[in-house]
Amino acid sequence: MAAVNGQTEDRYQGNTPAVAPSPKQPLPAAKSVDTQSVLKRLQSELMALMMSGDPGISAFPEEDNIFCWKGTITGSKDTVFEGTEYKLSLAFPNDYPFKPPKVKFETACFHPNVDVYGNICLDILQDKWSSAYDVRTILLSIQSLLGEPNTSSPLNPQAAQLWSNQEEYRKMVEKLYKPPSAA
Amino acid sequence: MGDATTAVCNLGILDALGGDAVQEILESYAGFTSATESLLSGAGDLSVGSELVSYVHRLCKHQLHSLVRDHFLSSLEEVFERNGAARFWQHFESYRDVSLLEANRSHIYEEEVQQVLCKALEEISLEKQYEERCLFLLVDALQTFEDQVLPRKCGFVTEKELLLSKYQLMVSSVLMATLPSHFPEILRWYFKGRLEELNTVMAGESKDCYDKDDMDVDEKDKMPPKSGVMDIDGGHLHGERSDSKLVKNIGKVVRDLRGLGFTSMAEDAYASAIFLLLKAKVHDLAGDDFRTSVLESIKGWIQAVPLQFLHALLSYLGDSFNYDSPSSGLKSPLASRPPSYPGIDAPSEALVRWKLRLEYFAYETLQDLRIAKLFEIIVDYPESTPAIEDLKQCLEYTGQHSKLVESFISALRYRLLTAGASTNDILHQYVSTIKALRTIDTAGVFLEAVGEPIREYLRGRKDTIKCIVTMLTDGTGGNSNGTGNAGDSLLEELNREEENQENSALEDGFNTDDKQAWITAASWEPDPVEADPLKGSRNHRKVDILGMIVGIIGSKDQLVNEYRVMLAEKLLNKSDYDIESEIRTLELLKIHFGESSMQKCEIMLNDLIDSKRTNSNIKATIGQASQTSTVSEDSGISLDILDATIISSNFWPPIQEEALNLPGPVDQLLSDYSRRYTEIRTPRKLLWKKNLGTVKLELQFEDREVQFMVAPVHAAIIMQFQDQTSWTSKKLAAVIGLPVDVVNRKINFWISKGIIAETMDPESDDHMFTLVENTSDVNKNSGDGGSCEELLAGDEEGEGPVASVEDQLRKEMTIYEKFIMGMLTNFGSMALDRIHNTLKMFCVADPTYDKSLQQLQSFLSGLVSEEKLEVRDGMYSLKK
Repeated sequence: MAAVNGQTEDRYQGNTPAVAPSPKQPLPAAKSVDTQSVLKRLQSELMALMMSGDPGISAFPEEDNIFCWKGTITGSKDTVFEGTEYKLSLAFPNDYPFKPPKVKFETACFHPNVDVYGNICLDILQDKWSSAYDVRTILLSIQSLLGEPNTSSPLNPQAAQLWSNQEEYRKMVEKLYKPPSAA
Repeated sequence: MGDATTAVCNLGILDALGGDAVQEILESYAGFTSATESLLSGAGDLSVGSELVSYVHRLCKHQLHSLVRDHFLSSLEEVFERNGAARFWQHFESYRDVSLLEANRSHIYEEEVQQVLCKALEEISLEKQYEERCLFLLVDALQTFEDQVLPRKCGFVTEKELLLSKYQLMVSSVLMATLPSHFPEILRWYFKGRLEELNTVMAGESKDCYDKDDMDVDEKDKMPPKSGVMDIDGGHLHGERSDSKLVKNIGKVVRDLRGLGFTSMAEDAYASAIFLLLKAKVHDLAGDDFRTSVLESIKGWIQAVPLQFLHALLSYLGDSFNYDSPSSGLKSPLASRPPSYPGIDAPSEALVRWKLRLEYFAYETLQDLRIAKLFEIIVDYPESTPAIEDLKQCLEYTGQHSKLVESFISALRYRLLTAGASTNDILHQYVSTIKALRTIDTAGVFLEAVGEPIREYLRGRKDTIKCIVTMLTDGTGGNSNGTGNAGDSLLEELNREEENQENSALEDGFNTDDKQAWITAASWEPDPVEADPLKGSRNHRKVDILGMIVGIIGSKDQLVNEYRVMLAEKLLNKSDYDIESEIRTLELLKIHFGESSMQKCEIMLNDLIDSKRTNSNIKATIGQASQTSTVSEDSGISLDILDATIISSNFWPPIQEEALNLPGPVDQLLSDYSRRYTEIRTPRKLLWKKNLGTVKLELQFEDREVQFMVAPVHAAIIMQFQDQTSWTSKKLAAVIGLPVDVVNRKINFWISKGIIAETMDPESDDHMFTLVENTSDVNKNSGDGGSCEELLAGDEEGEGPVASVEDQLRKEMTIYEKFIMGMLTNFGSMALDRIHNTLKMFCVADPTYDKSLQQLQSFLSGLVSEEKLEVRDGMYSLKK
């Protein structure tokens, strides 16, 4: 009978230290070591996001820069945003995840907490940021923000006012919505 | 000169001629013509000669030399045409049909032709001689006249030569003009017959003078020219003595032919006869036996028969043709021969040229023969080494390597690279090809060209990697059907590699030495012309079988991965911990592929070693435990019978899981084992893969005992029948914890062994399985009980415990699919290149993206056909 030892990974890393050393020698500057770890973190976040398969949210790094991502959110069902799709940009700082990424709407979004430039007012992207958040949770938060705006501190007062009238609001969303063209 | 002046004079004189003179001229001309006629027709009677002379003198008085000459020659021509040529050809009239000649190869017929030819030649030569004598008569007459009148400087020597050559020309032109088309054929045929005769005579002789020959060749250089007679061979002298008659006959024929102006035709005829004979000889010697080298014996034969013949012939002709200086003539010293050997009768230049021609022809013939059979030669490669050596020498001489490449490739296409050939055979042949061609061409240039179609073909086969790995690892000849052989050689190759590495390490040390560097530099050879400059110079192109094998697959990673899967399967099926051979193979592979790529495999082997230790440690605790605590409640099964293989699953290929309920006592045993393990090695715990491993069991029936080695599933199934002898498949499946169809499939094993009988239960519409207690109950058609050879017969459909490489690939591809969907969601549409690059950039974690552009493309088109993607103008996007 065969059995699996669940913890052997540690053991082997200890046993065979010479195996597969990183081709890059550790660089002297502490900063670049950080960059390495940020890179790693972003890569694993990407992997997690790809494997999670959450519906309606997606993001992917731009062509050659893993610090700049494009995101896509679709409006949840049973909200005024149903059937819409919004593009986002995510810019990760060098000291991510200790600082939050800068997230903006790339497509115009008629929403109380999004201004005309696409800036988002969301607490976890500002003062409530924690390194436990990741791309996936950010996207999920923004997706749920669409359906449940915070009308008390609006960036778009007109939207905030209209929010109470969902039918009118839906018409407004449809009127202003431009489906994102292929990038 | 004289001719021209007389012609001019004639015209002037004609006017001045008186009636008397005309009368005289007419009379003497009539006399001259009749004398000429009677002379020429009067076979052998030269009595009219004096008459002729007087007429000639008279005519010449009137400056009519040219008239005399022309008339004489034209009547000579007429007579020759009538008497010589026509009669000559008459002889051969009956052999007009050459095909009949070929068909009727009876000895008598041959003899007849030979005699006819000789007779005809003799006759015509006699005729010619006679006519020549007549000509000399005329020449004499002219000469005597000129001597009387005015002794001119440009004497009759020119006159005579002129007439002779004119005559000669006339003879050959008459013969050529009337030449029947089958005459050259007859000549060829004649020479062929003669040569064959000579050959049989020589063959009888050469047997006893072969040793002598060899000795002579050896001694030729060492011994100063004491013997000094004939430099070529002792055999020559020998041969000449006994065959001199035959050769003289031929020589005579050749000389006669030459005399008639058939020089080139005769030469053609005997040359083609010699080549034909040589070709036949080569074919005869070479045959289809590749185990002996034939080149030497062919060379020996050339030396013994055709060269001897030519030597004799040339010297005979030389003697008889060079009237004035029979000793010099053709025998000019050779360039290759040092001039400081005076007095040696060196082989004539013509003979040496003949020798080279013949040898080249022999090499070429043998080469063509071998190339045509190269496929067969390579099939029995190690035995056919002599043939390959021969071919190598031939090619060195002829340089027609490209011929080899072309013909071999087409043979491969036609005979090997077909759907009917098994991958193993193709690989085997590939290895043999590499080995064989390595001897022919050390630089591997042609191998490159020949190997490419094989490699290309193999890449298209799915089981190539598997076969290669089997060949690499099954050095012990696990497969009985011939593949063990190839495996042997590959493993050997691995070994050799190891030695080479050691050697090259040594060499590196020496290479710093100036002397060594000189030697290396001196032994440098340029690449063959056909070398592809793109493929690097010869240093990089060292022929390395493993490298070429790996080259089929493209990357060693795939090979290593396949090996890992195979190794896992092998290790998991081991019931003891004996991994000696695997360790050895792994060490060899490590040398070739590098430590790091074999790391996972090494860990797998280490797991087994560790398992052995852990296992014995755990067994050791039993002794203490049973004294102190209460263990022996496990219904008589003790831990002694359990051996566990503990694997670090991270480093093993994905293992197929199958939920399986083991019988209670066994399950208990397992948990007891893992409890003990945890005691020894906290905090580690064991997770059992219950479907893996082997179970050795003994079934006891009323009338017999049977032993089996089976998979756990089978054991679990049969164990259920211990307490309850019949089960429906649904119930059985529920107890065992497997789907019904799986159980139905697995139980076939026991049914085939005659241990369980299957019936249909009409009530529940279900299969009913019943234990067969007594063999006499069923007819003993499957009675092969009592042996353990049916090892692991369970995996009928080849579903091993380890996920196959294809499965892994599919799994990897699903990850890529998610990435591709992700990027297309965010970027809209992308070109193939960009998708490829993006995957390369961001899909870096396990599993790293390592596919080629082509692989990606085929994968993407798969997604398109699944309607997940669409493609427009080369841009992929999500299907909305």
